Amino acid sequence: MSSIMDAFAVIFSFSGLACLVIGTAVGVVVGALPGLGPSIGITLLIPFTYNMPPELSMLLLVALYMAAEYGGSVSAILLSTPGTAAAAATAIDGYAMTRQGRANEALAISLNASCVGGLIGAFALLLLAKPLASVALEFGPAAYFSVGLFGLTSVASLSSGSLVKGLLAGAFGLAIATIGIDPISGVPRFTFGVPELFEGIPFLTALIGLFAVSEAFSLAEGGKTETHSITPRVRFALLSLTQWRKLGSTIVSGSVIGTLLGILPGVGGNIACWVSYDFSRRRSKNPDDFGKGEPAGVAAPESANNATVGGAMIPLMALGVPGSPTTAVLVGALILHGLRPGPELFASEPVLVNTVLWGLAMTSIVLFFVGSLLLPVWGWVLRLSNSVIAVGIGCMAMLGAFALRNLMFDVYMTLAFGVLGYILKKFKIPMAPIILSMVLGYLIETNYRTALITSHGDYAIFVTSPLSLLFLVLSVLSLLLPIWGKLKSRR
Amino acid sequence: MSSKLSKIISTAVFGALLGTAGVSHAANFPEHRVNLVVWAGAGGALDTYGRELSKLLDEQAGWQTKVVNRPGGSGSVGMSYVLNQPADGYNILVHTSTLTFSIARNLMPYKLDDLRFVRAMQGEPSALAVRKDADLQSAQDFVDAMKKDPEGLRVGGYGTGGFHQYMLYQFMTAKDFKAGWIPYDASGKVALALMGDHLDAAMMTPSSGLSQVESGDIRLLGISTQERSSYFPDVPTFKEQGIDLDDMVWRGVSVKAGTPDDVVASIQAALDKVQASDEWKTFMKEQKQEDLSIKDGDFQSMAEKQLKTQSEFLKEAGFQK
Repeated sequence: MSSIMDAFAVIFSFSGLACLVIGTAVGVVVGALPGLGPSIGITLLIPFTYNMPPELSMLLLVALYMAAEYGGSVSAILLSTPGTAAAAATAIDGYAMTRQGRANEALAISLNASCVGGLIGAFALLLLAKPLASVALEFGPAAYFSVGLFGLTSVASLSSGSLVKGLLAGAFGLAIATIGIDPISGVPRFTFGVPELFEGIPFLTALIGLFAVSEAFSLAEGGKTETHSITPRVRFALLSLTQWRKLGSTIVSGSVIGTLLGILPGVGGNIACWVSYDFSRRRSKNPDDFGKGEPAGVAAPESANNATVGGAMIPLMALGVPGSPTTAVLVGALILHGLRPGPELFASEPVLVNTVLWGLAMTSIVLFFVGSLLLPVWGWVLRLSNSVIAVGIGCMAMLGAFALRNLMFDVYMTLAFGVLGYILKKFKIPMAPIILSMVLGYLIETNYRTALITSHGDYAIFVTSPLSLLFLVLSVLSLLLPIWGKLKSRR
Repeated sequence: MSSKLSKIISTAVFGALLGTAGVSHAANFPEHRVNLVVWAGAGGALDTYGRELSKLLDEQAGWQTKVVNRPGGSGSVGMSYVLNQPADGYNILVHTSTLTFSIARNLMPYKLDDLRFVRAMQGEPSALAVRKDADLQSAQDFVDAMKKDPEGLRVGGYGTGGFHQYMLYQFMTAKDFKAGWIPYDASGKVALALMGDHLDAAMMTPSSGLSQVESGDIRLLGISTQERSSYFPDVPTFKEQGIDLDDMVWRGVSVKAGTPDDVVASIQAALDKVQASDEWKTFMKEQKQEDLSIKDGDFQSMAEKQLKTQSEFLKEAGFQK
């Protein structure tokens, strides 16, 4: 108990709060800039934490992590340029709302959903870390394959309009995901001897190109005509009771989905937002409103991606194994202080552990205030003319593309994706499925093959493993239910 | 002091500074900032090593260094970055033993001779790991079990055609048995797979599942150090179990081939200061790394030897025709 009190003393000290506020502010900005995500943000801040006590440095870094997950949605909503891969789902309805002059509403929903998601994830970490971590252990290659497949079924929800076009985009994404060194046999595939392609096409490169660069092209093409019908006064942050009544259940279910998927190493943040978006669309009374500025389409992914923060910390704290790329960087920050995350840290450094656990919950609350204060700044962004925004997006996109791996090659690739995105827009082919299947393609393929190596080629492994079976059944259901619904309504 | 006088003094001081810079030779290396080109992304083990090195070169040797991450292409991207700069020692490549694997697999369009090897500084062994409740008690038990039924145990580890699989291959050649290989794409996932009963045995870096190794949930049956590791004194080496298996992944620094000898000597002197410092020793202890100091020619011949055996392994395992 006393270690919890000590932890609170650290969190609520002047320097503790200062770390939370600074970390949050930096996180929102880093998240909003395409290409810079939470892991790069933390890496950039780590050198400043060398001489800080470990408790404070962790507060600073987890605050940044949490805030960056929200920050990604800001640029997704305002400019249709998701700052992080997780925010690509938010861009669909968020940007649609902006074009209807409801940017302030979308931003407020995103902020509220992010904070609630972050809190629920943090409390899951506080209360359920041990049991949830043992669930993560049960996931073998077969189960990971089925989770990936399940994630892929949400392509249908992302293809507003034509399902065929959505599937086309999804297949294209899967094809791109095969580029790079074959993860099982080690043979380079479709790399044409270009070493920059050995690790595959990073999905952030595709994301920045397809969303940001193509948007810059479209804006430039539109000239000075006003496409943003602006309501620039973005100020009210807390959602009203009526909004809560409408969106509350979406936010809570998104948070639960985010927490649970966040626990799975390597899966978490990237698919939670899509699964959550899909889930809320399916249970919505007006699924056809999704993609056209539906508030739940913002609330669902945003609550989920912030909840993955707590989820991803669970294997880290309970097993000592990072659950996401960002938590892997956090491990590096801890090791600098001679600390190694894991269950034994609870005994050896109880104050530090409690500072991280309760601090993570606090970050959501701090995020709410800092996020609210920053809202007017985003309003200012909306008042800029289209030509300025187009150039701004273009610059940010190029910077982000370069920052990813410090390679000019990535910048050219991003530009190519930008041209592609522009063409796809003309044909009204949705781009979200490309990103989703790029993210999932690798996961599905490696785990499919690993599972079959493990079982010596016996396909039964996918149904004899209970978790795998569960997700296979869910995948089949999610494919069949809409068809069944259509047949029923025709009768 | 009149403003004129102060001007004269400052000019004189400035001139003196310029003068010293002007007459300096490679003996005064470095004259300006040195880039440490890490060929992996931020946050991993190599990056952590590179950043610590950068910090200690600044503190202990008075250098001014900057870490530059150039990940990609199995190391090719970082390598080409350094090779496209002048051979003056101002771009030091921070790399791993992946170098020889990438060359052996033709993933990297370079030769060992393109580099001037400076020093290997960190090493990590591979260990044979099983779950707490496994029947196996020694490396020999594992060999016996595999000889009885090559498909009886699910064996795997981090990477495809990489260090750990290579260690298993050497193990198999030494003891004449067959085993499959289930690759995982992150070292942390190997420990989780063991714990979750998705693998029966793994070749893994002990530090990648440290919590589980220390709590006893994962047992190490053998370790590939020459003598018992001070970090895992209870784990017998393969050697003492009569298995000729001793090799380590290393992390070290090199410069472009053709870098002048006196520049390399200055780098070596600075690295001596780094490795002599208490900070370095604590860092190595915290990271559970074996402290290596394999220099110049020794480093190069180690890499050449590894390239040779790894090429054999890759051919044997079907990665290379």
